[in-house]
Amino acid sequence: MSQPRLTRRAFLAATGAAALVPSGLLVPTPAWAAAKVGAAAPAFTTGATTGQPVNLADYKGQIVVLEWTNHDCPYVRKHYETGNMQALQKEATGQGVTWLTIISSAPGTQGHVSAGQADELTSKRNAGPSAVLLDPTGVVGQMYGATNTPHMYVIDKSGTLVYAGAIDDKPTSRRGDVQGAHNYVRAALASVASGQPVKTPVTRAYGCTVKYP
Amino acid sequence: MRDSSARRALVALLLVVALTAALAGSVGAAPLVRVELLSETGSIAPGATFWVGLRQQITPGWHTYWINPGDSGEPPRLEWTLPDGFVAGEIHWPHPERIPVGPAMSYGYSNEVVLPVPVTAPPELAPGTPVTLRAQASWVVCEKTCVPEEAPVALTLPVATGVPAPDPRGAPLIAAARRAVPSPSPWPASFVATPERVTLSIAARGLAPERVADVWFYPAAWGVIEHAAPQHVRTSADRITLEVARGQLPEAVAAPIDGVLVVAERLDGGLARHAFTVRAEPGGRMTSSLLAAMALALAGGLVLNLMPCVLPVLSVKAVGLVHHTGGRLRGHGLAYTAGVLVSFAVVAGVLIALRAGGQQLGWGFQLQSPVFVTLLAYVLFVMALALSGVIVLGGRLTGAGHELASRAGYSGSFFTGALATVAATPCTAPFMGTAVGWALTQPWLASLLVFEALGLGLALPYLLLTLAPGWRRALPQPGPWMVHLERLLAFPLYATVAWLVWVVSQQAGPTGVAAALGGLVAIAFAAWLHQVSRGAGALGRRLASLAVLLLAVGAVGAATLDSRADGGGAAAASSDTSWERFSPARLAELRAAGTPVFVNVTAAWCITCLVNERVALRSDAVSEAFARKGVVALKADWTRRDPDITRVLGAFGRSGVPLYLLYPAGTAAAPTVLPQILTERLVLDATEAIR
Repeated sequence: MSQPRLTRRAFLAATGAAALVPSGLLVPTPAWAAAKVGAAAPAFTTGATTGQPVNLADYKGQIVVLEWTNHDCPYVRKHYETGNMQALQKEATGQGVTWLTIISSAPGTQGHVSAGQADELTSKRNAGPSAVLLDPTGVVGQMYGATNTPHMYVIDKSGTLVYAGAIDDKPTSRRGDVQGAHNYVRAALASVASGQPVKTPVTRAYGCTVKYP
Repeated sequence: MRDSSARRALVALLLVVALTAALAGSVGAAPLVRVELLSETGSIAPGATFWVGLRQQITPGWHTYWINPGDSGEPPRLEWTLPDGFVAGEIHWPHPERIPVGPAMSYGYSNEVVLPVPVTAPPELAPGTPVTLRAQASWVVCEKTCVPEEAPVALTLPVATGVPAPDPRGAPLIAAARRAVPSPSPWPASFVATPERVTLSIAARGLAPERVADVWFYPAAWGVIEHAAPQHVRTSADRITLEVARGQLPEAVAAPIDGVLVVAERLDGGLARHAFTVRAEPGGRMTSSLLAAMALALAGGLVLNLMPCVLPVLSVKAVGLVHHTGGRLRGHGLAYTAGVLVSFAVVAGVLIALRAGGQQLGWGFQLQSPVFVTLLAYVLFVMALALSGVIVLGGRLTGAGHELASRAGYSGSFFTGALATVAATPCTAPFMGTAVGWALTQPWLASLLVFEALGLGLALPYLLLTLAPGWRRALPQPGPWMVHLERLLAFPLYATVAWLVWVVSQQAGPTGVAAALGGLVAIAFAAWLHQVSRGAGALGRRLASLAVLLLAVGAVGAATLDSRADGGGAAAASSDTSWERFSPARLAELRAAGTPVFVNVTAAWCITCLVNERVALRSDAVSEAFARKGVVALKADWTRRDPDITRVLGAFGRSGVPLYLLYPAGTAAAPTVLPQILTERLVLDATEAIR
């Protein structure tokens, strides 16, 4: 009779699988996506290029845009070399929105810059953020689950995260695709300004991976 | 002079610097991915569809992307410039590999990939002039950093009529790429989602869990699951369960989840990866398929009433209705229904529990135990004796079913319901196979509901007869004819007993048959003793009761005895020499040779199977057709439990016999599944249809 043997084997396999499952559960899940759209935006404090620490709570009562960037990433360059990003920054800050550009590239990786280099990039590219924040440890980036550059977030006046994802709906590095693209950030800012819920609150960010340590 | 020589030196220096810079520039411009366009065929036939492929040779350490690139990146694109009338299809994406990038996850390709694309040529294409297909290929290639690249690709092919010869370089590369393109999953899949997690459940029956080395689910779109999160996989003999952190898109779990499941299986020669496209329906939507399965089961239950093992029991019961009147009838109908439903719940519960324990069991599993078959024969034998008038339990003439009812009131009707369930188990009616097979892949509650629907179908005709008095008027007036009918109906039961003993002979050999027959003699003797003692005094009756009890115990003892007699019940040993014994290895061997194969999955205790064999499979015309078409006939005998055969049944969504498969010639074609009730014409037509 071969059946009892087989059953025992199945039993052993099941026991083995059962033993593996808990050990699998011990693998730490990434600190990803602690930030949830619809919930309070996680608080953080990190240094700005001015040398002053910036606390998100300082901007309570204002609409805040977070922009993760890496100036050498082809997708970031698409939006800066066409002037698309700068235009959006100025449009937003002109309406009283606080725009925080955040650099999470670790030292020695693409996009990592000193405070001076960051300010030089801002003036050279004629960019218009309210402040540029340096996050070389990647703590803030991972808190928000920022995977890409550019990766965009909008926080409303009550401190609730209302948009997370791509800048627009053309996930390419082609400069020609800026024309005719639907800009999700502009749409989210318009909705928040008029007190409407954001129509598309979560999208897939596209770009280069954030160069975390 | 010195001045000019200094100037010359300076010029030379500048030249070296310029050259170095130029060289460095050209190195920097070297693409990280080399692309070319390949063709599967050496020429194009007018009107034909042929495969081309974009081959990417990727610098080691770098990667390009799948259609869902994961947390970042972008899939490659092809923009075609084709001659008039040519149409290029979409890229058929080979399954990706997972490429962790820090805390994020990319889905893509490293080293080399060929992306196959079908191209259709216009029918009016003139042979002779070569045709050039051009495309602009663009892609993003990443390591730590990302570089967008693009290049024109082109392919020139001659035009010729007839079947084109394969291109010696392109054909093997494109063929390998197409093998890596996921095929539709043969298994139903569903998912449930909590705010934090998504659990996919794939009814992957027939997998050997100990051979599964790795399972990964690649979602077709972003936002459904966290790409980088670990996937907790449990593999059992009939199911893959995969639990993973939910993605960020809230609406993603409102629709079916699409993706590719890649299963790496350990084979003797190493790992084999199989990729399947999976569409997992939301768990809530299971209700619609549950309702369909329940409807099928209800119909199957109704058909069970007509089976030879159930019909006599119910006929007697129905005839007994003639004597009943008024409201008590309704009570009996309900008690009978309850008896059926409770019995089905018990059988289903045992089956579900055993399967949860990892046993390879299907519907009708009870009949794989010779002890159970022997006991079933005893029960039916007692009923047959009662119908024959050997035992008159309550002095009434209306037979065992009614006897039980009148003796114990409603509990008698309940018992009849249980009996009908027991008698019905060997008959897997049409409709039932599909519904029960589906039910066994579901969570226990859904399984139970399907089994109960089956029970309700079995109980329904009698229940309706008791609930609707008008219908009873169709029954004739009581009279002596009822006695004759009872005597007559005893014979289908005797026949069923004879058949069950024959089943025992297949399972337990001559020893088992001897034990079963001995038990039957003891029961007959006990019945007679019980009957004659009715006229005796109190002591005589008590002694007789003791003797009856002892005889019954002896008979049951004999039944358990034959389980130990693992007799040479070579169940599959068919006297019919044209049927070969089935084994997975034999089937694989025949299929590898491209031989057409007929597989008959059967069991000695399955009446439908035996009838099909008699009327259809063993006819001369079918044998002749099989011989003419070169069909090899394999018989998979499930009379005794056989995990290999259970897996075959599972692969076709069945949990019981019969199952008939006809594999056409050629190595790749899928088999035709024939209906569960065969006719000679049907088998002949199916056989003629194969090439």
